[in-house]
Amino acid sequence: MIKLEGVTKIYGQDTLAVDDVSFDVNKGDFVFLVGPSGSGKSTLLRLMSREEVATEGDVWVAGRNVCEMQPSRVPFLRRSLGNIFQDYKLLLNKTVFENVAFALEVIGKPRHVIREQVPFVLELVGLADKGERFPNQLSGGEQQRVSIARAFVNRPLIMLADEPTGNLDPATSEGIMALLQAINETGTTVVMATHDHRVVNAMRRRVIQLDRGLVVRDQERGVYE
Amino acid sequence: MIARIEYALRETWASFRRNLTLTMAAVLTSAIALLLVGATFLIQRAFENLLVQWRGDVAMIVFVRSDASPEQVALIDGTLRAAPSVIDVDKLRYLDKAESYAEAQRIFVGDPVTLSLLTPETIPTQFKVVPLTQDTDLVRSLADQYRTLPGVEAVALAEDEFEVISTLSSFVRNVTLIMSMVLLIVAVGLIWNTIRTAMFARRREIEVMKLVGATNWFIRIPFMLEGLLQGLIGGVVSCVGVWALNGAWSSGVAAFKPGTGISSLVVPSGYLSGVMVVLLLLGAAIGAIGSAIAASRFLDV
Repeated sequence: MIKLEGVTKIYGQDTLAVDDVSFDVNKGDFVFLVGPSGSGKSTLLRLMSREEVATEGDVWVAGRNVCEMQPSRVPFLRRSLGNIFQDYKLLLNKTVFENVAFALEVIGKPRHVIREQVPFVLELVGLADKGERFPNQLSGGEQQRVSIARAFVNRPLIMLADEPTGNLDPATSEGIMALLQAINETGTTVVMATHDHRVVNAMRRRVIQLDRGLVVRDQERGVYE
Repeated sequence: MIARIEYALRETWASFRRNLTLTMAAVLTSAIALLLVGATFLIQRAFENLLVQWRGDVAMIVFVRSDASPEQVALIDGTLRAAPSVIDVDKLRYLDKAESYAEAQRIFVGDPVTLSLLTPETIPTQFKVVPLTQDTDLVRSLADQYRTLPGVEAVALAEDEFEVISTLSSFVRNVTLIMSMVLLIVAVGLIWNTIRTAMFARRREIEVMKLVGATNWFIRIPFMLEGLLQGLIGGVVSCVGVWALNGAWSSGVAAFKPGTGISSLVVPSGYLSGVMVVLLLLGAAIGAIGSAIAASRFLDV
């Protein structure tokens, strides 16, 4: 599903973010990218969604080489990806329902699809009764559930999560992880960058550890250490 | 498809209202710029009424009395042709009564009093003379000679009548042209800035749109429509302005003393409609250009 071959990313002249990284992620996998701040976790996710282009090497996502992709094809790559972030990136002037509907609206889905799909995913993330609320009226955990609903509503093949529990307390994080696991069980590949020991250790899934841009460990059923 | 069109129109309108102050500034600037463009066209056309009888390097007109006999006309023609070294004989033209009357209708378009005194029977016919020489003294002495011929009513020289108007006309044209060009550029810049500001205000939405896979065109189109709309509204405002100004001017000059020439500085209504169509198209164009530059350069927010 995702394949990195000798990927190097240098920002500007000489800021080495990722150094000759190679690994494969199979369909339906759940992978943690761990490591300290600045170790290259977020850069790897950004290379997969082609917010960045690799300086060297190839990145394959869902069968396509995203490094050689025409810029005009990138939106269609993104439609097969779901992105979630530490800061949720919700639109504060739109309700929960509208935030999720927005993701379908801007890729031109007809209104009957929106009316059908949005309540369904809100139900899935446990916010069925909060569709008319605004993001500021929700807790952090609830806001992250909205962002997961928005990422999942288009049924992506891959979920890319950048520190999704970074702003949440342990109990709330557990709920978010249960949700991501449930999504993973529908066959969606999940790649999650984190430095949250507890969630990694609780899940016991594949762990790829980075340090200063290098892969220092790639372990099935790993822990954070 | 319908969902997309609906989305684009809804977003265009919402953004248009959100930025009302800047939008007003952009609309008014384009309106004033276009008004000046319109005025340039109208002034030019109005002056042409006065200049029409001198078109084609004509430097001298020999007016022939309306009751001149064919022999007298032939004598004048022969005299003119007798000086082939000074007069361009190939370009010598004789306007008969019908042609002279048609020309007078244009010259006195804003002066119905004078026009009513002329009829196709009583109007003087005319020889249009193009000289070969640049020597104005020579042309002037020829004119004096022609005045004495039987049947000649008057001889008019371009030097006396045409040149003041011509100079004035090109001066006014240059000034209004430069001013309207500068203002048009300012209008494009203001529309560009308004759209840029609108995009900056919605940078989070744009970020999310790109994230979930909206195409660049889908993101751009509402902003480009917004710019187009601003230019078009500017165009409509300028059309109203041009129409009102032209109306006020036409009724103003109609009060001038007949025969001063000022009253012929008016344009036919068909020409006015043509100018208004041009202004609308030009307004749409500056809106499209300004917003297209903004939308292509500031999508990476």
